[in-house]
Amino acid sequence: MTRYFRLYLHFLRFSFSKAMEFRVDFFFRIVMDCFFYAINIAFYQVLFLHTSTLGGWNEEQAMIFVAAYILVDALQMTIFSTNLWWFPIFVNRGDLDYYLVRPVSSLFFLSVREFAANSLCNVFIAIGIMIWAISSYSQPLIWWKILLFVLLVVNGTFIYYMVHMLFLIGVFWTHSARGFDSLFRHLCLVHERPDGIFHGATRTVFTTVLPFCLMCSFPARLLFEDFQLSVLLHILITTMLMFFVLRWAWKFSLKAYSSASS
Amino acid sequence: MIEVRNLKKSFRVHVKKPGLLGSMRSLFVRNWVEKHALKGVSFNVEPGEIVGLLGANGAGKTTLVKTLAGIVYPSDGDVKILGHVPWERKNEFRRQIALIMGQKAQLWWDLPAEDCFLLLREIYSIPRQKFHDKLNFLSETLGITEQLNIQIRRLSLGERMKMELIAALLHEPRVVFLDEPTIGLDFTAQKAIRDFILQYRSQHQPAMILTSHYMEDIKALCKRIIIIREGEFIYDGPLQNIVNTYTKHKIVSLHLEKEISPPNIPHEIVAAEPQFLKIKIPRDQVAPSVNSLLQSLPVADLTIEEQAIEDVIEALFRGEM
Repeated sequence: MTRYFRLYLHFLRFSFSKAMEFRVDFFFRIVMDCFFYAINIAFYQVLFLHTSTLGGWNEEQAMIFVAAYILVDALQMTIFSTNLWWFPIFVNRGDLDYYLVRPVSSLFFLSVREFAANSLCNVFIAIGIMIWAISSYSQPLIWWKILLFVLLVVNGTFIYYMVHMLFLIGVFWTHSARGFDSLFRHLCLVHERPDGIFHGATRTVFTTVLPFCLMCSFPARLLFEDFQLSVLLHILITTMLMFFVLRWAWKFSLKAYSSASS
Repeated sequence: MIEVRNLKKSFRVHVKKPGLLGSMRSLFVRNWVEKHALKGVSFNVEPGEIVGLLGANGAGKTTLVKTLAGIVYPSDGDVKILGHVPWERKNEFRRQIALIMGQKAQLWWDLPAEDCFLLLREIYSIPRQKFHDKLNFLSETLGITEQLNIQIRRLSLGERMKMELIAALLHEPRVVFLDEPTIGLDFTAQKAIRDFILQYRSQHQPAMILTSHYMEDIKALCKRIIIIREGEFIYDGPLQNIVNTYTKHKIVSLHLEKEISPPNIPHEIVAAEPQFLKIKIPRDQVAPSVNSLLQSLPVADLTIEEQAIEDVIEALFRGEM
């Protein structure tokens, strides 16, 4: 475990020294993402001009929820996104070879080796938005609930990564992941919607096999509604199950790796 | 150290007719063809042995190396390397092997080599002092100490390959797979890398499998070679024996003192000029034939040559022997 932590410190160091080299890209990303955040906040504020509740939440609650998915977005962009962008290309070109001969988890290596240092500013901006949303909440919030909420949002980022990876893993057989990737990108918009708007079978799907509602909505509920242990357990158990499924799927799919010939 | 029994690997590839129509057809109907990359090969490699794996492009060399390194799964057969099954990818196995591919870089393009080496130190849990001693030794031997802090993308191809070698050998692997390690390098760099590999072998006695298209590499490094054609071994033995095994003839060249009319010789004449003859003589008849040639012709000079080893191997690749 500590070895993996030290490896990750190396990845961080590499990424920072690399990021400083490409200045234009560095600033461009920040501007782009601020634009994205502003649109999202404005979207919900416009909605609340026409209605007082959305999926059972008032405007203040919705803002905390928006802050949560902005943070998930910033975190996954910083930690996983670059890696998952490269992953199908690596599989297709046969570039997994060197990752498979090293005595370290190839899934770990491929998922986190590129830390997007130039997105890190966005994480700070997202944290800023989160602090703003929580501090403008007019009802009292308990400190441990805030802490739990933040931890669960981080956990939501991990779920986001796992679902994305599971979508991409088909590339071992199809050799092109563009279809899977765009399907994921369309579906994952669900995590930017309050879970209260989904009912019946759709709700079951989005809280179990495609647990988008567990990324931000459920944590937000735990923050400003009554604490329910069942909701917390639901999130934790689903996360663990997904982790085992991902590891199994990874092992299984490597059998199909054909390593395009040099 | 390496034990391979009846190893098979086949791929399913779909064949598509050319053009847009062919592509549209393949959307709905796929013709699958089973391609046999390895058709049941068996061999062993002992510690300290460097085995040259030779074959034309697509013969199955790289597939064999990748299966032994645990990168691809075989279709059938058994492999034990240091007591492990490669494709189970146990860390204990992976800690003791190294793979170098001349066509695929393992070092990170935007980083100086030394940074990559530090990462490898962590991956292989090499003690700090041992790592520094080893790195100093390897970089001095290869003459690239000065380049350690330069980004990989700014290095020459030769320097980059030397860095790749260091990266692969820092953890002192006991089994090393070298897939075309000298490809595209100039003569000096090729030689430096060959000398280095020999030095590594004498110090660590690893089992090595080397594929290369350069005969110079094979001659300098391998006492034993395996020739693979269409997924099958057609030769596995000492490099030196290949000529004896596969050539039935020797070439006798005669320089004559004066011009003569075409002589009556019971062997194939490969080349004939007014004062020069090149004759192909069966190996077992060389001595008596040369004797009679010396008596019947005005010979000024005579040489007897084996067929060049390169030619024999090339003919084997093409299936002409």
